[in-house]
Amino acid sequence: MRIHTMACRSLRRNLRRSLITAFSIGFGVFLAVTFTASGDYSYTNMIETSAVMGLGHVTLQPVGYNDSPSLSMELAEAEMFHRELTAIPGVEAARARIAGQAMFGAGAKSVGGAFMAIDPDQETPAYNLLTRSITQGALFDSDDERGVLVGERMAKKLKLRLGKKLIITVTDKNGEIASELTRVRGIFRTGEHSVDSSLVLLPLTMVRKLLRYGSDSATYVSVYLEDHRQATEMVNYLRTRWGQKDVEILPWQKTQGELAGLVAVDRLFNYLLQLLVGLVIAAGIMNTMLMSVLERKRELGIMMAIGMRPGQVVGLVLAESFWLAVVGLGIGVLITAPWFYYMAVYGIDFTSLMSDEYSAGGVVVEPVMKFRLYRESAAAIIGVVFTLTIAAGIYPAIRAGRIPPVDSIKEI
Amino acid sequence: MNLFRLAIKNVLRSRQRSAVTVSAMAFAGAIMIFYASLLEGWYVAMKQNAIGLEMGEMQVHAKGYRDDPDLYKLVTDEKRLVGVLRKKGLLAAPRLIGGGLAAAGSNSAGVMIRGIDLELEQQVTLLHRHVWHGQWLAGDDPAGVVIGRKLAKSLAVKVGDELVLVGQAADGSMANDLYRVRGILKSIGAATDSGGLIMSGAAFRQFMSLENGVHELVVKRISPALELTPLAQELRGRLDTLEVHTWQELQPVLARLFEMSNISLVIMLLITYAAVGILTLNAMLMSVFERIPEFGVMKALGVSGLNLFTLIVIETLILTTFAVTLSLVVGVPLSYHFSRVPLDFSWLLESSTTIAGIAFEPQWYCHLNSSSVILPTLFMYLVALIAIFYPAAKAALIRPVQAIHHH
Repeated sequence: MRIHTMACRSLRRNLRRSLITAFSIGFGVFLAVTFTASGDYSYTNMIETSAVMGLGHVTLQPVGYNDSPSLSMELAEAEMFHRELTAIPGVEAARARIAGQAMFGAGAKSVGGAFMAIDPDQETPAYNLLTRSITQGALFDSDDERGVLVGERMAKKLKLRLGKKLIITVTDKNGEIASELTRVRGIFRTGEHSVDSSLVLLPLTMVRKLLRYGSDSATYVSVYLEDHRQATEMVNYLRTRWGQKDVEILPWQKTQGELAGLVAVDRLFNYLLQLLVGLVIAAGIMNTMLMSVLERKRELGIMMAIGMRPGQVVGLVLAESFWLAVVGLGIGVLITAPWFYYMAVYGIDFTSLMSDEYSAGGVVVEPVMKFRLYRESAAAIIGVVFTLTIAAGIYPAIRAGRIPPVDSIKEI
Repeated sequence: MNLFRLAIKNVLRSRQRSAVTVSAMAFAGAIMIFYASLLEGWYVAMKQNAIGLEMGEMQVHAKGYRDDPDLYKLVTDEKRLVGVLRKKGLLAAPRLIGGGLAAAGSNSAGVMIRGIDLELEQQVTLLHRHVWHGQWLAGDDPAGVVIGRKLAKSLAVKVGDELVLVGQAADGSMANDLYRVRGILKSIGAATDSGGLIMSGAAFRQFMSLENGVHELVVKRISPALELTPLAQELRGRLDTLEVHTWQELQPVLARLFEMSNISLVIMLLITYAAVGILTLNAMLMSVFERIPEFGVMKALGVSGLNLFTLIVIETLILTTFAVTLSLVVGVPLSYHFSRVPLDFSWLLESSTTIAGIAFEPQWYCHLNSSSVILPTLFMYLVALIAIFYPAAKAALIRPVQAIHHH
């Protein structure tokens, strides 16, 4: 029997009702795409921003460093890891860096802060937020061992300008105080206050000498992947590859735990709100299906009297739900596509409303609402639409299957 | 003819259809009440964390202190001032503020030291309730201090560890003393997390050799009904040697952010309303359109168009009233439950964190207020009446014979 033809016919017979219901499904698709896609975009954006602030998607670091970071820990074979990583498929880039706390003095003033030592030959703006955000001057070059970059707020606090002297004081690997005189080559501004007021970029070779590190050492090697979602997979691969070496390999979720938690909570909030709206829509579908079953009692009774089995009646009503979901999805795609296209390409810029930077979990969030939909998110939306629609049809379908053939024909 | 009795009879006669319509609407209404109170709870918590945790609703400083904070810019008659504010319906707590360097082991970090009045501070802010590890300050433990959570990490200290504090005292000498970490705070705000150190006012005075005066008064209204801006204006007139700022003036970005999130909450609400609206519309359209033949019979028996229209409106009101009552019976206790027991997301987070500098707690409470109940209720009546207007008018105007054959 052509159950689907029958299902489509009965949907068409009450066109207005079917269309309103399908439209409500379409509306649900529109909302789900809007919320999920703006979430996917902003999470990706935050994860990428956080990665280029230093630690990358995957980090290779001394064992125990993540829990209690200290300059006394060094990753002796950092340059070897760095070389080999760049040859691994899926890895876009890798950077060896030294990071730690230091005191910065200029004139009579001094402040505490953090530093990141980088190799100017390796670093490119694409994988370093700080060199990307230079507002004055430029990155020191490789033969300039005393060049530094400072954040805008620190520059203001210490009254620094390009070419001014800055004294760095650190405790070296053996716990002894070491100092070095440097010159400001550039000033950067990321928008995140804590970074702009406390971070200084230093040349890697100078810091290695200052801390008495080996010439191949660093604090960590940051790995940048083509897709941040591959981090866990990559970590597993690298762990099997370098399992016997004295190195800890962690994904961004562990090294940037605050951000990972924030993304997880925000995503859950987002899904919860979507689910509530989804339930309202599902209740609407159930209402429609139940009404259509109740008013077709006589019709369904006759069909059963001429030989349709209860199971087939249940199937028929479920098929109606299914086709309602298909039409609803179609309407949803039609109304969402232009909106999605606009938001994916242009987006809405709230910069004029914000007037100042907005950060979450220590990461600057650009005040732009844009869309990006992961393939798995799109699949999830489609899956949920079908699940909810068909689930909403189950009770009406069971009711339809229980209709007693003879009695219902007698009813008016 | 008694239309009301007829309407009740009609509703009861098609019991199944009425039940389906009512339960779908009630379900949607209950979810809407829950949703509205969840969003309201989010907003209230955010505002409380931004203002009630540390900043207060208003702050009083000596002239020029905010532009260039300095140990010597003092509010001198703080006791009298607290009394004056009290008479205006405001609670105030004095604070002492100074800079210094904290060191533990081989780590050190710059800190903002705050000396607070243990009793008054509790009345104005909620700092004391946001201890993550260890305990809040106590009067009998002057060497115990409470620090921000990121500061604790960068100094690598735990509760019970010692730390050395160095600073420049008010008399120009070098202040230097040993303290013990008594507590580590949850996220309070970006600045306090990474550099906040809090001790008792008496301990601060001793450390900084400062005998009189305070740097800041944090102020909170006793009753939220009090208007803040005119009050600040009035105080500014009376206290001309001091600076008075409301929280909106202290943190204009934050005030802006609240306006924006208020707008986005309204948008989110409108979205659920739209979903509920479609559902109600469809339910009502169905329940009226399908009965047009029945209405035709009534007209043929001599019921006037106006009476028929009124009858349909009354039936709709009865159904909607049932739906609304049911949605209140389900939605209000549900929201109330989650206003006591929060939705807890802390298993996803290692520690508390900040969004836009505001502390963010992974516990989500509902906040049930009159608007999260009244608005959904009114909305359901409104949509129901709009939905039936067209089919009811059609039923009222259609010719009986056509109506009987209508399908």
